[in-house]
Amino acid sequence: MMARRLGLAALAAAVSLGFSTLSMAADKHVAITQIVEHPALDDVRKGVKDVLAEAGYVEGQGLKWSYESAQGNTATAAQIAKKFAGDAPDVIVAIATPSAQTVSASTKTIPVVFSAVTDPVGAKLVSNAMHPGKNVTGVTDMTPIAAHMALVKRVVPTAKRLGVISNPGEANSVSLVSLIESEAPKAGMSVVVAAATKSGEVLAAARSLVGKVDAIYIPTDNTVVSAFEAVVKVGNEAGIPVLAGDTDSVKRGAVAAAGFNYYDIGRQTGHMVVKILKGAKPGEMAVEGVAKTNLHLNMKSAKKQGVTLSDALIGEATDVIR
Amino acid sequence: MIEARQIAVTFNPGTPMETPAMRGIDLTIPEGDFVTVIGSNGAGKSTFLNALAGELRPDSGHILIGEQDVTAWPTAKRAGLVARVFQDPLGGSCANLTIEENLALANARGKRRGFGASVGSNLRDEFRSQIERLNLGLENRLGDRMELLSGGQRQAVSLLMAAMQPMKILLLDEHTAALDPKTAAFVLELTREIVAERNLTTLMVTHSMRQALDIGNRTVMLHEGRVVLDVRDEEREGLKVEDLLHMFEKVRGEEIDDDALLLS
Amino acid sequence: MSQIAFLGAIEVGLLFALVALGVYLSFRVLQFPDLTVDGSFPLGAAVCASLIVVEVNPYLASLAAALAGACAGMVTAWLNVRLKILHLLASILTMIALYSINLRIMGRPNIALLGETTVFSPLENLDMPTYIALPIALFVLVVVVKLALDWFLNSEVGLAMRATGVNPRMARAQGIHTNRYILGGMALSNALVALAGALFAQSQGAADVTLGVGVIVVGLAAVIGGEAVISTATVFRATLACIIGSILYRLAVAGALNADMLGLKAQDLNLITAVLVTLAMVLPGVRMPFRGKKRGGQVT
Repeated sequence: MMARRLGLAALAAAVSLGFSTLSMAADKHVAITQIVEHPALDDVRKGVKDVLAEAGYVEGQGLKWSYESAQGNTATAAQIAKKFAGDAPDVIVAIATPSAQTVSASTKTIPVVFSAVTDPVGAKLVSNAMHPGKNVTGVTDMTPIAAHMALVKRVVPTAKRLGVISNPGEANSVSLVSLIESEAPKAGMSVVVAAATKSGEVLAAARSLVGKVDAIYIPTDNTVVSAFEAVVKVGNEAGIPVLAGDTDSVKRGAVAAAGFNYYDIGRQTGHMVVKILKGAKPGEMAVEGVAKTNLHLNMKSAKKQGVTLSDALIGEATDVIR
Repeated sequence: MIEARQIAVTFNPGTPMETPAMRGIDLTIPEGDFVTVIGSNGAGKSTFLNALAGELRPDSGHILIGEQDVTAWPTAKRAGLVARVFQDPLGGSCANLTIEENLALANARGKRRGFGASVGSNLRDEFRSQIERLNLGLENRLGDRMELLSGGQRQAVSLLMAAMQPMKILLLDEHTAALDPKTAAFVLELTREIVAERNLTTLMVTHSMRQALDIGNRTVMLHEGRVVLDVRDEEREGLKVEDLLHMFEKVRGEEIDDDALLLS
Repeated sequence: MSQIAFLGAIEVGLLFALVALGVYLSFRVLQFPDLTVDGSFPLGAAVCASLIVVEVNPYLASLAAALAGACAGMVTAWLNVRLKILHLLASILTMIALYSINLRIMGRPNIALLGETTVFSPLENLDMPTYIALPIALFVLVVVVKLALDWFLNSEVGLAMRATGVNPRMARAQGIHTNRYILGGMALSNALVALAGALFAQSQGAADVTLGVGVIVVGLAAVIGGEAVISTATVFRATLACIIGSILYRLAVAGALNADMLGLKAQDLNLITAVLVTLAMVLPGVRMPFRGKKRGGQVT
C-alpha cells in the first residue's frame, strides 16, 4: 500500500528531476545539512547563505542551494549524506557533529566544510587541525574558555567557586566542561557541575547550585541554553551572577558574555565556502576557531544579581543593556 | 494412579469477592479408570482440572501422579504426565500454526526439544497415517493453518494430539461443549475409541448428565467444591439421570436447580 | 535519485533489516511489544565503539555488542516474567536505563570511528568503490542471518518459541517452559538489534548516544510494510518480508529526499512512519486485503 505508492511517486519524481537538472550544469552547487532545526544552527546556515550572496552566489542566479535537516534522526542524516554524495555538489556544508561525521564517512573527494563542531579532532573529522590534509575542514565553535574564565574574574573579582550547568549527553558540552575544569583553577576558582539531561531539568539543576557557588557560567549547551530563563530566575532570586558562553543569553538575563554568535560563525564558514568555490583545497585550509567576539553586558541583570560593572568593562562592551 | 488429597482453593481471599472454589476434594483414580465429572456452575470442576494440570496451585492439599507429589510442579513440568484437551477449540491449539506444526508440538510433549527440524519427512508420514483414522480428509491438508479447520475437526485433532505421547492421565475439559450435537457425538465416539485402544486413565469434565453416564466407568459429582457423589462400575450401570438427581438430593438435602445440567 | 543515494538507501535498509528481524521476533513471534530496541541499538554501537577505540578486534567488538544486546533483552524479559511487569512497561524501563548505561560505557556522548579499523575496513582495499562494496557485504550478511533465523524458527526449539507467542497456555500444556523461551527469544531479538547498531556505527563513522531515537518505529514500519507487500504464510516469507520492508522504507526515504518536485521533506517521514506503526498496533495478525490466497482455502 503505502510502500508501493511511495515507490511509484519516487520513480515519477526521479524521472522528472532527471530532465530538469539538464539546464543547471554551469551553476555552483552548495549542499547544506544540519542534524536538527535549532536557532543557533539555523543562524549558521543563514550566515553561510548571506556571505555567499555577498560574494555573488545567489540562490537561483548562479547558485544551486540544497538544504536538508535530519530532524534529529541519525539514520536520516546518513541517507542525507548519501544523497549529497551522489549529487556531487561543489561543497557540502555540515552543521553539527553527527551530520559532519556521517557526511565525512560518505565522501572522500567532495569538499566538506563543517560548522558548529566543538571538537573536530576528537570527532575524527580532521587529524590535524592546522593542516587537515583530506577533503574536510571547517569552523569550530569551541568557546575561548580561558578568556571566559578571565571575564568571570573581572565581573566577579571575589568569586572562588564557579557553578556550571550542562547536559552530559551533548558532545560539545562535555568537552567544554572538561576545559572549564582545567581553566577555572588557573583563574583561582573551583568548579561545581550540575547536570540537566533535558530542558525541563534545568531549573532544578540551577537551584541545586544556590549556596554552593559565587557565580554561574553557562556554556554553549543546546539543552541548557534553551531553558536559559530558568537559570536567570535562580540567579536573580539568589543574587548569583550568571555569565554565559554566547551573547544571545545576555538579552535573556545573563550579566555578561564575551561571546560569538552563531550567525558570525556561519559567516566565517561562508567565507571558507567561497574560497573553496573559487578553487582552494580544503586539505590546505586550517580549521578556524572563533574569530570575532563581542562583549555584551546587561546592567539590569547586574543590579539584580549583585554585580558592580567597572567603567573599563562598560567602555569595552559592544552592547550594553541598561 | 492419580491421587488428589484434600485440595482446597479459594479465589480472592479476604475480599468481598472471596469464593471457595474447592473445599477439600479427595479423589483417587486408579490406572485405567475413565471418570466423568459433573456439577453445576461454580461446583469446582474446571478449578479441579486446572489444579491437576498445574495451571493453578492449590492453597492446601496434595496431588500425586504415579508416586510423585506434583503439587508444586508448574504445568510445563507436569506435561510429560498430563495430557489435556481444552474446551475452546481455538484455545487448545495454535491457530496460526499449521496442522503438522501443532502435531509436532504435541509430539514433543514430555521430551527434550532440540535443534533438529520440527517436522521432518519421516514425522510427516507418521502424522499422515495417524490423522487418516479420523476420516476427515485432513491427511492432505497437513500444511493448512489450524484456524481453517471447523471446531469439530480441531477437537478431533486435539484429541489425537493429546494421545500422541504417553501420559499418566488424560484431562478432557468439556471438550464437546462448544460443538453441535452431531459433531459432539463424533468426537465423543472418537474419545471412546482412543481411550479404549490405549487404555488411558481419563478424567472428563462434562456439563451433560446423560453424557456423564453414557461414557466411562465412573461418575463423580462435585457441588460447592466437594465431592458429593462417586459411583462406579455395577453401581453406575443402569443409572438414569433421574436416579442421579435423587441421589444428589438425598446427600445434600436440597434440589438441583441448574437447568442446563438437568436438561442436557 | 543518484546511484550513491540509491545504494545508500539499500545500505541503510540492509542494516535496519537486522533491526526488523529482531522486532519481528519480539513483536510478531513472541507477541511482546518491545521498546528495548531504542536502547539496545545504541548499546550495540556504544559497546562496539568503546572496544574498537582501545584496539580490540572489530569482529570481537561486534560480537560483544550482540551479547550486550542479548543481556538487555533478557532484563526486559525477566522484568516481565518474574516481576510480572507489563511487557510494554518493562521494555520502557530497560530502554530508559540504557540511556544512562550507554553514556557510562562510552564515557562521552559521541565516539568517532572514522579512520579506525572496523569490520568494513577490508572493503576499502578492493577495487570497487565503498558505496558499492558495503551494500554487497551487508547483503551477504543479512542473507546469512536470515537463513540462520529461518532454520532456527523451523527447529523444535524454534517451533516451541512460536507456540509461546501464539498460545502460551497450550504451549505449557505441551511441556514448553514459556518463561525460558521468552527470555531466550528476547535475548536473540535484542542481540540482532545491537549487532545492527554496532555495524551502523562502524559504517557511518560514529557511535552517538542519540542513535536510538525512533528505532522501534522504523523496525515496525519495516515489518508492517513487508507484510503489506508479500504474504507471510511461512517463516521463510515472513523473514523475507522484514528485509524487503526495511529496504522499501529506506528507498521511500531516499525518494522523498530526492524528489524536490513533491516538496517532501524529512519531517513528513515521521508522519508516514507514525501511520504505519498505528497499523501495526491495530491489526495484529490481520492480513492486508490484497495479499495472496492462503493455501488450502475451504473451511468446512
